[in-house]
Amino acid sequence: MDPDAVAKAFVEHYYSTFDANRAGLANLYQEGSMLTFEGQKIQGSQNIVAKLTSLPFQQCKHNITTVDCQHSGSGGMLVFVSGNLQLAGEQHALKFSQMFHLMPTPQGSFYVLNDIFRLNYA
Amino acid sequence: MDPDAVAKAFVEHYYTTFDSNRAGLANLYQDGSMLTFEGQKIQGAQSIVAKLTSLPFQQCQHSITTVDCQPSGAGGMLVFVSGTLQLTGEQHALKFSQMFHLMPTQQGSFYVLNDIFRLNYA
Repeated sequence: MDPDAVAKAFVEHYYSTFDANRAGLANLYQEGSMLTFEGQKIQGSQNIVAKLTSLPFQQCKHNITTVDCQHSGSGGMLVFVSGNLQLAGEQHALKFSQMFHLMPTPQGSFYVLNDIFRLNYA
Repeated sequence: MDPDAVAKAFVEHYYTTFDSNRAGLANLYQDGSMLTFEGQKIQGAQSIVAKLTSLPFQQCQHSITTVDCQPSGAGGMLVFVSGTLQLTGEQHALKFSQMFHLMPTQQGSFYVLNDIFRLNYA
């Protein structure tokens, strides 16, 4: 399958899940997964989802501006995303950049091994 | 060696070289290296350096705001950078995000296997 298409499909699925049902992100991470969120390092699916579901907003909407991807060697895929994040009730959207390192699962899907998120301040 | 220290040292070396001697970046890439620069995909050290040395400015200065890193599995390291890029003669600096996937060399150093660069527009 075309890697760009795979990357776009993953990104769409990831942010739809994030925006609709953050707890549902749990099956996109595994025990060895790592998240660095605004400089804070978190490891393992359980801790990662605990962090994401405890972020100080109820509702949000991600709008994706760019998606770039490359093969990372050893079957993995790197996905680099930029976009903006609208929090319900806030006047201005936040800009962010995020990178994912996806690894294949035996079922033919992908999970997130590495995840780094940064807001882009003006 | 502490991975965060390795990442910071690499980032400093990369941007110092970029800002003073862009052609010198050639030994940080190999044949299999990939660069996606503002959506344009380039492969191999020679083509990558040709692209970077042909960018439409003579002088520039990168200022780094954040550096995050994680091990990528298989001995590699992911480095996620945000910062600003001041082009000589331009009034306002450009904001950018960039990710590197570094792989160890036999000499105990690192080369860039994957490189994705994006400007962060206001």
